[in-house]
Amino acid sequence: MSVPTDLRFTKEHEWVRIEGDTATFGVTDHAQEALGDIVFVELPEIGRNVDAGEAYGVVESVKAVSDVYAPVAGEVIETNDALDGEPDLVNSDAYGAGWIIKVKISDNNADTELMNPEEYTAFLDE
Amino acid sequence: MSALLKTPLFDEHVKLGGKIVPFAGYELPVQYKSGALKEYTAVREGEAGIFDITHMGQVRVQGKGALDFLQYVTTNDVSKLVDGQVQYSALLNEQGTFIDDITTYKIDDEHYYLCINAANRHKDVAHLQAEAANFDVMVTDESDDTTLLALQGAKAQSLLQDLVGFDLEGIGYYKFARGQIGSASGMVSRTGYTGEDGFEVYIPNSIAVEVWNVLVEQGAVPIGLAARDMLRTEMGYALYGHEISDSVTPVEAKLMWITKLDKGNFIGKVAVETRKAEGAQKKLIALKLVSRGIPREHYPVWVNGEPSGEITSGMHSPLAGGGVALAYVKPEHMTEGSLSVEIRGKQIEAERTTTPFVRSNVRK
Repeated sequence: MSVPTDLRFTKEHEWVRIEGDTATFGVTDHAQEALGDIVFVELPEIGRNVDAGEAYGVVESVKAVSDVYAPVAGEVIETNDALDGEPDLVNSDAYGAGWIIKVKISDNNADTELMNPEEYTAFLDE
Repeated sequence: MSALLKTPLFDEHVKLGGKIVPFAGYELPVQYKSGALKEYTAVREGEAGIFDITHMGQVRVQGKGALDFLQYVTTNDVSKLVDGQVQYSALLNEQGTFIDDITTYKIDDEHYYLCINAANRHKDVAHLQAEAANFDVMVTDESDDTTLLALQGAKAQSLLQDLVGFDLEGIGYYKFARGQIGSASGMVSRTGYTGEDGFEVYIPNSIAVEVWNVLVEQGAVPIGLAARDMLRTEMGYALYGHEISDSVTPVEAKLMWITKLDKGNFIGKVAVETRKAEGAQKKLIALKLVSRGIPREHYPVWVNGEPSGEITSGMHSPLAGGGVALAYVKPEHMTEGSLSVEIRGKQIEAERTTTPFVRSNVRK
């Protein structure tokens, strides 16, 4: 599967979509593939401030528990409540309906700290 | 640690897209291409799953002293078995704790067959051979020559019937038959670890690939370790290294039903009697989370706000619709006190329940 071109990526296989001062977080297709069937997503409280690199939630597959880390810093303004009933959206549509949270960006480090699609594709091939 | 072993079906697992992981000294598939949940669903909802459980060990016990020997080394009452019957049982040490849990197959009065756990195989065989010196009996480890498949689910019998030269309908629950399977001879028991109707099939390694491929071509769904553990845990079946180990006795593990204190002397009997009289150090319970979350092995279990024990096996049960688990708690908390499971520092309320967590479809 090709990597979407409008996103930035972390080495922990998270993606972020930045639109104005809002950032949407999720895990990449590679991450969901490696995790296997996802059966539970623990979402943070609205209003919580997360630092870049901080664990903001937990994704549990049949066999594994994995923290998910914030690609950029911000205040949580929305969580994907559809994941409560359908955590497998992370598997079936990692870059779309399987998004996890939205934050109001407090410090946009995306251009300097995160990988662009070409870099992430190369990182996956390493 | 010695190199990992492969079963005769390793190449088939790879061809089917199996994700290979180390397990009990073997390289085995944790899941295949479609994922653990789909595999689980196939077995629970009317298909048949096929499992490579060749890593498990097999020991043949033969001789005039076979019954006396097995009465002494196993916990269950072997004298109750008829020819062609299987019995769930255990091997204990003198401290009354588990060396292994096993199944005992009675072929005839002087011929039995044991199925043992992979991780315990060498320990079990050494123990059995040492004890055999005192009996008129021969103990042979046949694990390396034997492929063991499980075929589990509503369609198991119809799929397997085409391949065997004897009638499966006549084999009752925990019964077995021997005869032609594919191009060789083998043994089929109506047993399993999933709570569904189905069979375990013992065949020589030489026909493993042939039998596997025929069953898969006919529609048996390959099942990996992850779905196998889901199916096992939903039934509340004990697994060595989790609910049972060399630090618990049958009194703690709720396995007194396979421990027959009235059958005569056996290894571990005195220690179990003492433990029973003194009371268990902890008790195994079944619980279900009231709120959302997944209880996993080693998560702390609290009762009335105090630590009481920990989870031994836990999962998100699709059929029970939530988190279910087996856990050891203090004996006084087996039936009393408000339960919670600590998940990432938070207390998640739980309630006691009974096993199986979901309906069993085994043919009784």
